Amino acid sequence: MAVHRGRGIAAIEYPTGMNQNGDPSQAWIKVKPDGRIDVFSGTADIGNGAKTIQSQIVADTIGVPYEWVTFDNSNTDSSPVCTGTFASRATFVAGKAVLKAAREVQRKLLDVAAQEMEISPEDLEIEDGRVSVKGLPDEGMDVGEVAGAAVYGHGILVTGTGAQLNPYAAFTDPGTGEVDSPPHAAISYAGCVAEVEVDDVTGEVRVTKLTQSYDVGRAINPSLVEGQIQGGAIMGLGLGVLETSYPYYPSVEHRGSGFGSYYAPSPLDMPDLETIIIENPSEDGPYGAKGIGEMANNSQPAAIATAVYDAIGVWITELPITPEAVLKALDKKAAGEDQPRRDGKMVIFDEDLSVNTVGAGLQWTA
Amino acid sequence: MRIEVNGAGHNVTSPPLASLLTVLREEMDVTSVKAGCESGGCGACTVLIDGQPRRSCLTPVVTAVGSEVTTVEGLGTPDSPSAIQQSFIHHYAMQCGFCTPGLVVAATAYVNGGGSDDLDSVAEAISGHVCRCTGYNKILEAVAAAVKSSEFDLSSTAVDKNTVVIKTGGAV
Amino acid sequence: MKAVGARLPRYDAMGHVTGTTQFVDDVRVPRMLWAKMLRSPHHHAAITRMDTSRAEAMPGVRAVITWEDVPLLTYGHLEALGIPADEPLLAKDEVRYKGQPIALVAAEDVDTAMAGVDAIDIEYSERPALFDVRKAFDSDSAQIHPWGNWYPHFEGEMDRRKIRKGDIDEAFEQADKIISGVYRPAAIEHVPVETQVCLAVPESDGRLTIYSCTQALYFTMGVIAAHLQVPLNKLKVVGGTVGGGFGGKVDTASDTVSALAAMKAGRPVKWRWTREEEFLASSTRAPWHMEIIDAVTDNGWILGRKMLTLHDSGAYARFSPYGVTKHSFHHTGAYTIPNLHFDGYVVFTNRVPTTAMRGFGVTSISFAVETHMSRVANELGMDPYEVRLLNANRINDTSPNRIRYTDPSTVDVLQSLAGAEGVQLEGAYAGMTRDPRSGDLLPDHLVGQLKTEGH
Repeated sequence: MAVHRGRGIAAIEYPTGMNQNGDPSQAWIKVKPDGRIDVFSGTADIGNGAKTIQSQIVADTIGVPYEWVTFDNSNTDSSPVCTGTFASRATFVAGKAVLKAAREVQRKLLDVAAQEMEISPEDLEIEDGRVSVKGLPDEGMDVGEVAGAAVYGHGILVTGTGAQLNPYAAFTDPGTGEVDSPPHAAISYAGCVAEVEVDDVTGEVRVTKLTQSYDVGRAINPSLVEGQIQGGAIMGLGLGVLETSYPYYPSVEHRGSGFGSYYAPSPLDMPDLETIIIENPSEDGPYGAKGIGEMANNSQPAAIATAVYDAIGVWITELPITPEAVLKALDKKAAGEDQPRRDGKMVIFDEDLSVNTVGAGLQWTA
Repeated sequence: MRIEVNGAGHNVTSPPLASLLTVLREEMDVTSVKAGCESGGCGACTVLIDGQPRRSCLTPVVTAVGSEVTTVEGLGTPDSPSAIQQSFIHHYAMQCGFCTPGLVVAATAYVNGGGSDDLDSVAEAISGHVCRCTGYNKILEAVAAAVKSSEFDLSSTAVDKNTVVIKTGGAV
Repeated sequence: MKAVGARLPRYDAMGHVTGTTQFVDDVRVPRMLWAKMLRSPHHHAAITRMDTSRAEAMPGVRAVITWEDVPLLTYGHLEALGIPADEPLLAKDEVRYKGQPIALVAAEDVDTAMAGVDAIDIEYSERPALFDVRKAFDSDSAQIHPWGNWYPHFEGEMDRRKIRKGDIDEAFEQADKIISGVYRPAAIEHVPVETQVCLAVPESDGRLTIYSCTQALYFTMGVIAAHLQVPLNKLKVVGGTVGGGFGGKVDTASDTVSALAAMKAGRPVKWRWTREEEFLASSTRAPWHMEIIDAVTDNGWILGRKMLTLHDSGAYARFSPYGVTKHSFHHTGAYTIPNLHFDGYVVFTNRVPTTAMRGFGVTSISFAVETHMSRVANELGMDPYEVRLLNANRINDTSPNRIRYTDPSTVDVLQSLAGAEGVQLEGAYAGMTRDPRSGDLLPDHLVGQLKTEGH
């Protein structure tokens, strides 16, 4: 009777966006007479931080302080089309729509400022809410003055629109799965090392540490990136050792109907978390960003399953790895029934779980 | 039947065994108190009753008569957020925000009750709360920091000491 | 100060911590009704009789909505992507899962709405049910849909998603070892702390305002408009602030029925699911059954992979065909395998329909592929980092659907983890990069899959 320690690794990739329908996102921006910026985007914020990230992109792209930006995603009357907040697309795809809209706003502000200052717009730049002559930072005017001049002097409504539409993905050959255009907008990469403790008396698997590495392209907001990575890690931990809608799947009995009978991770399940953020800028994401929210719970389950093998020498490939599953696997091991069947160069694991063993209508072999 | 909520009196029209949650939300429009499960499992409806954290969904309103009920609205406002509210902002201890009011209330009781800044103690104190977004880490950090400090920078969020950034490739 | 790259607080942080952020359930409108749903108590049954007249006559009940009230009863969320509709908004003559919505009652308060649900007279005739995807193909299996137990419409007429690449037979011939395993990740719940909720408000100009917890405002508006058969300007979907979604609030289950009830009653209607409904009747992440057979060499190369996936879709297709397609495109994980033979089925069972969840289609594959990779390393007696680095995606390598990788980071990620763990990689592995393959890292079996231009 003992607690066994183990360690396991997993590396993964994940596609951002869903180009089957062109995956459109659109945004528009207007400028108030004092230079304050109103962004209208259709991207819902489900906690991922779309309001924050898209506002940050707009602030820097126009060249105004973040505090000047208001963000409205509240309704379909004022906000344009956005496919939605899923597929890790809120930053990578929808972020490009606000980026394009912000560029147009900046261009129009520079045009007005150029007329006011009787100078070519190419010689001007905007930073921190001020338009200035390149190389002569003291020569210029505040964005607020420019915006006021647009309304009251030039009769111009300063707006910008941005629309992101990706190439439609289509199969060149459905029979082989070959496509002629990517069904995703980008691919992101991540990995995880899980450390576990397995109690061979109770069967409990405790995840003690998750060391995770993500290529995020560019962290537009490092705290929000950490939020995705840490929140995803605990969801992945849940997948690995805690959660199931059907405790005796495929049976539909014994479903958990409340928090006392469905085990979503609690603060007491927290492992130590170590995070590596790789900034390898993407070719076409906004400011080099990649989308990572979805993949954030994908690497932990395999790393945990491998760590459990490392700890107690049994492979458990049905999730979650519950105490009951661990004890059953240890019993099989003790009975010498845990080994794969070996036949020539064939090494056959999990034969009891296979469709060939359980079903009759679909026979599937190497 | 009259209850005191955030320092103001209210004459209850619901029956005595109606939940405090229902009275707060549907009678008084105190909407920070969330109906996450209405069975005591998630903590999103947590309020303070005489300073102690309580599930308002499991509290018959009649039992709150004669006590002081405090919701997150009574702890601080956008113009004057409490130290714990500030710490949650500074530590990015929220994502969707639905569980946040209940957690802020529970954290307030923990800190006011002399809780330590040991992360395991904090985890124990908020273990009845479900947050599906954050993975709890930043919430634990926020509560622990509020044990030691009463003011936080609201223009930026805290650096995570367990994060390393590696830059590769060219500039964009 | 630059905003991009800065650790700025959340835009909505102050609202969250002071409880002033407005979620759907927090919206207050006068004269609001509450709604409750009659749900199927059976996993699979015919509805032989339904009579709502007793419920409709109850004091305080203002509207009862059944399938007869829905202008377009069956609409597929992904019809635009070629996935035909198979699920009625409200059950008509058959229920295929326990918890399936049948009739909504809107009343002056929650208790009256629940009493109204209880007053609906309904009779069922139970049918055999199917729960094990592995038995769905058996001749004596219960039948779920008229066309059978698996989705038959991939690219029009294919009954499975196929990937065929290279020469799988040759790979198995050349292999030193052939290693097979079966991987079965569970269904899990999304568990947003905010349960499904909708508030539908008829406006004086004849429009409907729909306060929705959707993750996708326009997508949801399109679905509501299709069921109601109204132009988009009839609807205003209000939302954008969601109390957790994780994929479970894309095909929102509450909006359209609430809208119908609001129209019929001429009053605002709120339908907020209980936690029990959220756990038992809302869609889940799918359970998956995956079998992988890898052809490997003693020195760590994966020459080929044969794979079978049975995706447990639950009773209806919803997003599953899309999920299985995405799954198939990523069934080599972060590695390059030149010879592939993949068959993926969307299998129907009499459980709650499954839907998108964080990592949709790929969470399953990541678990299967990476656990299998660990087994391969173990069987070959190789270092788990080295077998992964050897087969890692490199620039110009191609994916199962033959997309050229332009920016793969498998190598960077693995090296960074080795660094953090204090693992000393052997020289060739320590110096490895994402750059195109050459020399020892371009063995004969990987030459044919390279693509140096195009996608």
